[in-house]
Amino acid sequence: MTMEVDILELSDRSAKFVLSNTTTAFANGIRRAALADVPTLAITEINIYNNTSVLYDEQLGLRLALIPLTSNMEDFIPKEECNCGDFCPACQVSLTLSAEGPGMVYSQDLVSSDDKVQPADPNIPIADLREGQKIVLEAIAQMGYGNKHSRWQAGVACGYKNMPIVEFSGCDQCGKCVTECPVNIIKIGTNSAEISTEDMLKCTLCRLCVGICEIDAIDVKVDEHSFIFTVESDGSYSTKELILNAGSVIKDKATSLSEILSTL
Amino acid sequence: MIPVRCFSCGKVIASSWDEYKRRTKDGEEPAQVMDDLGITRYCCRRMLLSHVELIDTLAPYQ
Repeated sequence: MTMEVDILELSDRSAKFVLSNTTTAFANGIRRAALADVPTLAITEINIYNNTSVLYDEQLGLRLALIPLTSNMEDFIPKEECNCGDFCPACQVSLTLSAEGPGMVYSQDLVSSDDKVQPADPNIPIADLREGQKIVLEAIAQMGYGNKHSRWQAGVACGYKNMPIVEFSGCDQCGKCVTECPVNIIKIGTNSAEISTEDMLKCTLCRLCVGICEIDAIDVKVDEHSFIFTVESDGSYSTKELILNAGSVIKDKATSLSEILSTL
Repeated sequence: MIPVRCFSCGKVIASSWDEYKRRTKDGEEPAQVMDDLGITRYCCRRMLLSHVELIDTLAPYQ
């Protein structure tokens, strides 16, 4: 059986697709890799020269760290994997922020030393400055993995559910399941109640229809080898790149495992 | 200050805050505004819905 992918929605920030003919282990591997193992760029260190805003330095640091940064990700490698020993353009990039109140400081006010490294969203509020308040700082962004800190988490809300299978047999068309269904997907057809193929994806497997049916005509099952995936990106990657990267992370891990085993 | 990301799922919600604040101030329903901004999950919706701006209270202090 070859794995099949059926894309339902694909945009820059979110995707929905059906992955079939595979196992739960693989589907979960993709999910976990997208959340924790796809490297991204995030601010890890800040040198504060002046901060007279109402935010503590630490609060400012956290806010800056959580801003997703876009760049050409192949140009960077995580610091611990870099051979330079100290720092080099391949493992870190510097951004500066200098602002004076009154006014809101936004993520677009960060000035990057590398044109390709930019905040994914330009309008993230960083701090609200009043008359005379100042922020002057240098931020160092490094590559990292989501399993270390949420600042490097490229995929947000990645999840899957099994493909639902709802079967009706001996239905008397009483219509109770139609009103009971919380997502309103059951319709009365010519001979029995039915759910269209498109609506089947919306089924939450709550089994309320099974409970309300007096003649036990409804059977709710799941396809163990088919998964409905939803993936969202924080903006540092497009969702397509994110899923591709998650796949290649798994592939790289499997390759290094087989290399280790072959040397034994 | 509005948190940059949703505490539960990690979606960046701060970028929607200015528009959310402006439109709800103009009398629009918060639910409608969040739907328009693509904030669909209840974890992200509570971030905007329950946020209280304290910066004006703290502004006199450094």
